[in-house]
Amino acid sequence: MQAPYIRVVAVLTGIALGLVAYHIQIDNLGSTSFRATLTVVSAWAFLAAGIATWSRRPGNRLGPLMVAAGFALLARQLRYSHDSLAFTTFFALGEVGYALVAHSALAYPSGRVIDRAGRLFLMCMYATVLAFPLATLLVHDSGDTLRYFDPVPRESLLLVSGRTDLAGFLQDAYAVASACLAAAFIGLVARRLWQATPRARRILAPLLLATVVAALWAFYSSVVVFTTRPPRLLVENVFWWQIVALTALPITLFAGLVRARLAHASIGDLVLKLENTPPRGIRDALARALGDPTLDVAFWLPERREFVDGDGRTVTVPPDGHERAVTQLEQGGEPLAALVHDPTLRDEPQLLEAACAAARLALENGRLHAEVQAQLAKVKDSRARLVAAADEQRRRIERDLHDGAQQRLVALALELKSAERGLGRNADHDVEQILAAAAQEVQIAVEELRELASGIHPGILTQGGLAFALDALATKAPVPVTVNAELERLQPEIEATAYFVAAEALTNIAKHSQAAKASIKASLESGKLVIEVADDGIGGAVVAGGSGLRGLADRVEARGGRLRIDSPPGGGTCVVGEIPCES
Amino acid sequence: MRVVIAEDSALLREGLARILTEGGFDVVAQAANAEELHDAVRRRKPDIAVVDVRMPPTHTDEGARAARELRETHPDVGVLILSQVVEAAHALALFSEQPEGFGYLLKDRVLEIDDFLDAVRRVGHGGTAIDPQVIAQLLGRRREHEPLGELTPREREVLGLMAEGLSNHGICERLVISPKTVETHVNSIFLKLGLLPAADDHRRVLAVLAFLRS
Repeated sequence: MQAPYIRVVAVLTGIALGLVAYHIQIDNLGSTSFRATLTVVSAWAFLAAGIATWSRRPGNRLGPLMVAAGFALLARQLRYSHDSLAFTTFFALGEVGYALVAHSALAYPSGRVIDRAGRLFLMCMYATVLAFPLATLLVHDSGDTLRYFDPVPRESLLLVSGRTDLAGFLQDAYAVASACLAAAFIGLVARRLWQATPRARRILAPLLLATVVAALWAFYSSVVVFTTRPPRLLVENVFWWQIVALTALPITLFAGLVRARLAHASIGDLVLKLENTPPRGIRDALARALGDPTLDVAFWLPERREFVDGDGRTVTVPPDGHERAVTQLEQGGEPLAALVHDPTLRDEPQLLEAACAAARLALENGRLHAEVQAQLAKVKDSRARLVAAADEQRRRIERDLHDGAQQRLVALALELKSAERGLGRNADHDVEQILAAAAQEVQIAVEELRELASGIHPGILTQGGLAFALDALATKAPVPVTVNAELERLQPEIEATAYFVAAEALTNIAKHSQAAKASIKASLESGKLVIEVADDGIGGAVVAGGSGLRGLADRVEARGGRLRIDSPPGGGTCVVGEIPCES
Repeated sequence: MRVVIAEDSALLREGLARILTEGGFDVVAQAANAEELHDAVRRRKPDIAVVDVRMPPTHTDEGARAARELRETHPDVGVLILSQVVEAAHALALFSEQPEGFGYLLKDRVLEIDDFLDAVRRVGHGGTAIDPQVIAQLLGRRREHEPLGELTPREREVLGLMAEGLSNHGICERLVISPKTVETHVNSIFLKLGLLPAADDHRRVLAVLAFLRS
C-alpha cells in the first residue's frame, strides 16, 4: 500500500515542480516557451519512466533512481530564479541531476552498479557536480553573469569574496571536467558492451543512447567554453539533439527492462509452438523463447553415455562457467538433455525453469529422434564401409589378375613361342604343332582372363582414370555417345562409383530407351563429382525395387552421394549422380 | 638397335629380352620400375624403351607416366608402351602429345613375335605402332555420318594397317599383295575420305588417326 501512495505523491509533485520550472525559465531566464517545455518534458520523461519501472519492478532500484534523476533535472531549473535563496540552493545542488542520469544508465538493468570502475566513476561524478558549483558560489560577484544565465544579477548567499576571474575559471574548469566525465562514461559503457555475451548485449543496447547523450553533453559544454563566439546555429542544434536524446533515454531504458520481462510471456507461446515443432525445431523455438540465439541443445544417449546433437552426432558439452552456462534436465535420475546457454540467463532462473518445463516433452521426443539419427548414422557408416571394402576387393582382384596370372601366362606363351621358333630348323613337325597349339591355348586363356578381370573392375579405370574409362564405355555403346569429362585422377573408389553410374545408365539406354544418341558429362562441382548421362529416348525410367538403377542409387548413397533420375515419358532420360569427394 | 626393357615381372622381362635378342636387337638394360627405367635411358642411351604400363608401387599408370616423362627428357628415344588393356582414347591421349617414335600395344601382341619385332623396329626408327584393337575401336565407333561406309572391306583393312603405323611395304607383306595393289588401295581410300595424299608414312599415320578420331 505504501509504494502506490509514494508514487501518487511523486506524480503530483513532479507536475507541480514542472510547472514551476517552466515559469522560472520563461520569467527569469527569458527562454522561449518551446525550449522551456522541452526541458521540462525531458525531466518528466525520466520521472514517468522511473515510476513505471518502479511499479513493474518494485525490487529494482532503477525506478527510484530514474525518479530522482527526473526530480533533480526539474529542480535544476530553479537555479535561474531571481530569489537569492532559491538561486544559491539549486545552483549548488542542481547539477546532481546529470550524475543521477549517469547513475541510472550504469545501474541498468539490475539497479546496481557492480563493477569497481563504475562505482569509482560515480563517486568522481557526484563530487565534481557538487564541488564546482559550490566553489563558484563562494566567489561569485552578483554583478557578473554566470554561464548560461541571463544578465540579471543574482546574489550568492555563500559569497566569501567576489572574484570575477576565479569564478570564470571555476566555470571553465567545470566544463572541462564534465567533458572528461562524459568521455570516461562512454568508455565504461563501451567496455561493458564489449565484454557482454550476445544475449546481454541485446539487453544492454539502450546504453548506446546513453553514450549519445553523454557525447552531446560533452560537446555542448566544450563548444560553449572554448569558442569565443560559438556559431549560434550549431549550439542551438546540439542543444536540441541533447534534449531529444535525454528524453528518449529513460524511455528506452524502461522499454529494455520490459522486453526482458516479455520473455516470460513468450513461454506460453513456446508451449503452443512446441506442439507443432519437429524435433529439429526445438532448439530454435527455445532460443527464441529465451532470447538467446547462442543456445545449444544436447541430448543424452544413455547407451552411448554421451551427448549428441539433434542429428545424433556426438557433441561436447562445455563446463558450466563464465563463457557458457549449462542447465541439465533430468528424468528419473538419468540426464535427459543439457541446455548450453548464455550465462546472463542465470539471472532469470524462473524464465529458464519455465522454459525447461514447457519443453520437457518435446525434449524427450527430441532425444528419441537423436537416438534414431545416431543409429541411422551408424548403419550408413557401416554400409559405406561394406561398399568400400567390396570395391577395394574388386580392384585388388583385377590388379592381381593382371599383374599376377596374366603376366605369367604371357611369359609362358612367350616361352612356348620361343621354343617353337627354336625348333623350326630341326623340323620335328609334331612337336612344333603341339607347341603352337599350346601357345594358342595360353593366348586364349590370356584373353579370357582379361575379359574376366574387366568384368570385375575395368582395367582402363585403374590405368587411365575416369575420363578414359568413360570414353571406353562410349566407344562400346550401340548408339553414338559424346563424352565431356575433363578430369584429373580422383580417389579410385570415387572414380569407380561414377564409372558404374555411367555404365549402368548406358546399359539401360541400350536395353530400354530406344535412344538415337546419348551424352556423358562428368565434372567436379564444389567438392562433388557430378556425373550425368542423358539420352533422347522414350523416357519413363524409374528407380524400382531390384532394378539396376536401384542398386546404383544404393551404391551412390553409400558414398554419401545422391542419384537423381529425370525421365518423363517421351522426354528422354537423364541420370545424375553426385558423389562427394574429399580433396 | 639398342633396347631398354621396363617390366616388373621378371619372368616376362626375361622372355622379352630373349625374343628381342634373338630378333637381332641389342638389349642394353632391363628395368623393374620407373626409376630404374629413367636411370637406364640416361646411362645407356637406347633407341627405344619398351615399357609396361603398370609398374610398382601402385600398379596403375606408373609406366605411362614414366613414358610421358621420357618423351620430354629424351625426345629422340622411341617409347613402346605395353598395356594390359587398350582403350582408344587413352592411347590417343598418350600418342598425340608427341607422335614421333611412339607405340601402344596390348601386352599379348608380343606373342605375335614377328609383328612385335617389326613394331619395335618401327618405333625405334621414329615411326608409329598402334594396337589393332585401338584401330578397330576407332573404325567401329558409331558416327552420325559414316564416310567409312564407302570403303570396300579390303580398303578398310588397308586403312586399319595404315593407322597402326605400317608402311606400304609392311602392308604388302602383311596382306601378301603387290606394292602396286597397295598403292591403288591407298589412293582410293584417300580419295573417298577426302584426305590429301601424305608426303611420308609418318604424316600418313597422323592424317588417318586424325580422321578416325574426329
